[in-house]
Amino acid sequence: MSKAVKNYKAGEGMKVNIAGLQMKNPVITASGTFGYGEEYADYIDLNLLGGISVKGLSLAPRAGNPPPRIMETTGGMLNSVGLQNIGVDAFIEEKIPFLRKFDVAVIANIYGESYADYAAVAAKLDGVPGVHALEVNISCPNVQKGGLSFGADPRAAAEVTRRVRAKNSLPLIVKLTPNVTDITVIARAVEQAGADAVSLINTLTGMSIDLDTREPHLKSITGGLSGPAIKPVALRMVWQVARQVKIPVIGMGGIMTARDALEFMVAGASAVQVGTASFVNPRSGVEIIDGMQGYMKKNRIKKITDIVGTLKT
Amino acid sequence: MKDICLGLVTANEEIKRNYFLMKVALPDGFTDPLPGQFVMMRIAGLQDPFLSRPLSIYAFSRSQKGCMIELLYRVAGRGTGIMAGLIAGSEVEVIGPLGQSYVVDPRRENIVFIAGGIGVAPLSLLAGHLGETVCREASSMTFFLGARTAEEIVGLELLHKYCYRVIVCTDDGSMGEKGQVISVFKKEMAKFPSAETALYACGPRPMLKALAIMVGGKYMCQVSLEERMACGVGACAGCVVAIKEQAGAMAYRRVCADGPVFDLEKVIWQ
Repeated sequence: MSKAVKNYKAGEGMKVNIAGLQMKNPVITASGTFGYGEEYADYIDLNLLGGISVKGLSLAPRAGNPPPRIMETTGGMLNSVGLQNIGVDAFIEEKIPFLRKFDVAVIANIYGESYADYAAVAAKLDGVPGVHALEVNISCPNVQKGGLSFGADPRAAAEVTRRVRAKNSLPLIVKLTPNVTDITVIARAVEQAGADAVSLINTLTGMSIDLDTREPHLKSITGGLSGPAIKPVALRMVWQVARQVKIPVIGMGGIMTARDALEFMVAGASAVQVGTASFVNPRSGVEIIDGMQGYMKKNRIKKITDIVGTLKT
Repeated sequence: MKDICLGLVTANEEIKRNYFLMKVALPDGFTDPLPGQFVMMRIAGLQDPFLSRPLSIYAFSRSQKGCMIELLYRVAGRGTGIMAGLIAGSEVEVIGPLGQSYVVDPRRENIVFIAGGIGVAPLSLLAGHLGETVCREASSMTFFLGARTAEEIVGLELLHKYCYRVIVCTDDGSMGEKGQVISVFKKEMAKFPSAETALYACGPRPMLKALAIMVGGKYMCQVSLEERMACGVGACAGCVVAIKEQAGAMAYRRVCADGPVFDLEKVIWQ
């Protein structure tokens, strides 16, 4: 009766290298959906994942937004968690020792409310054993003072990238917001400012209303939409960005299955992130890896990198 | 490694209008739940509703054939509405048992339960646990069960088995005493010396808030809270509640992982 637990060990052909970040496969669990790894360690073997992007870290601990914070929507969900986190110091002290027990790429997702904040968090993570890359959140739509303004303005996005680059030598991924007119402009700006890779998309700003009370379902009124509902938008943006930048693109947005993940790679992504799917099924990440390998075998694809950017138009 | 269990619905009966009792057969590997714990459940293979639903565990049994959880739930929205349509033989995916359980202090002679409506579910499991596992005399346990009308009083059969006294009350007087469960408890409060009594409560937020105002600080009281959840395992921080920390500070704690059981006096009612 129990669901079969298969041996999901990734083959050689699944290896990827994203701007110096070596991973045994291209599947990363997305920031904000996988805690600090330990929350899911009872449900899946973290060693099987390509990478884990941890919950966004700020300089000081952050309480987050008042509840209610989430609402289910058609084919997805809205959240306004507000970047609740334990702060970068507690992360290094309390969470890294646990993550170091696993053979998995640990990506520290960071954010700030000022250029100085970003630089300070990046500096604290420089040279910390067990952290393999940085992912800079310039895009979270929940925090009014932060996220949106940096990620929606190419000059601000570039400045954040430069400040972080100056303080940290790890592979630097900049995570982009879809809540802009032309995402390729921001992607090019951070590439020129020294980003090693870009990841996209973060959540799309949305809202949901309770008709009977005429109140928003979220206390913060608006929140970030994620889940399969956003996949077509994400796929389109990954395709657009991959054609405009030379650095690797990490694709995400509504990936639920191996086929979804492979579609992102065909559109030009060198790796993918699995987010909201983990809420629905904690084993999504490893099941996607397994499914990708099955697809490769069936279609005689030797290396996963061979599929990247092979969209026929 | 914890399993994501595939469960088989063996019964899903509407016991009162909008109130259902679902029985789910689970594999042996399912851990015995502690009172107050819950499961995340979804219909196997279905992506709509998108998220799993948190459901209190109402009863649990283990036999040679395997184990069985019983879920007593109210149809509150779209997710539970679809769940209500499940027939025997349907498959569900179950993660659990999850969350922190009620803490039982053996020195407390009197146990008082205060439930509003569907809040009876986790408290019934606790009463059964105290009777069967901890060998509490039924005479030491008093259960106050309230709802708006007789049509919303569920779970009485088991309570009569576990507790010596079950006091039923309804807002409209259609069953038991007339009045809200908190006021009915208030009338009897003097019978339960605070130093010897433990209170356990579950129900709608306004009821729990009224209880907090009435007994706050006077009684040892634990409550279990309900909140919309996405992951159920502490990863998303979507289901938080404001909790008083030491030195008057406030923090958002996750109902799924830090709760759903909290000390009543620590909950900040907003």
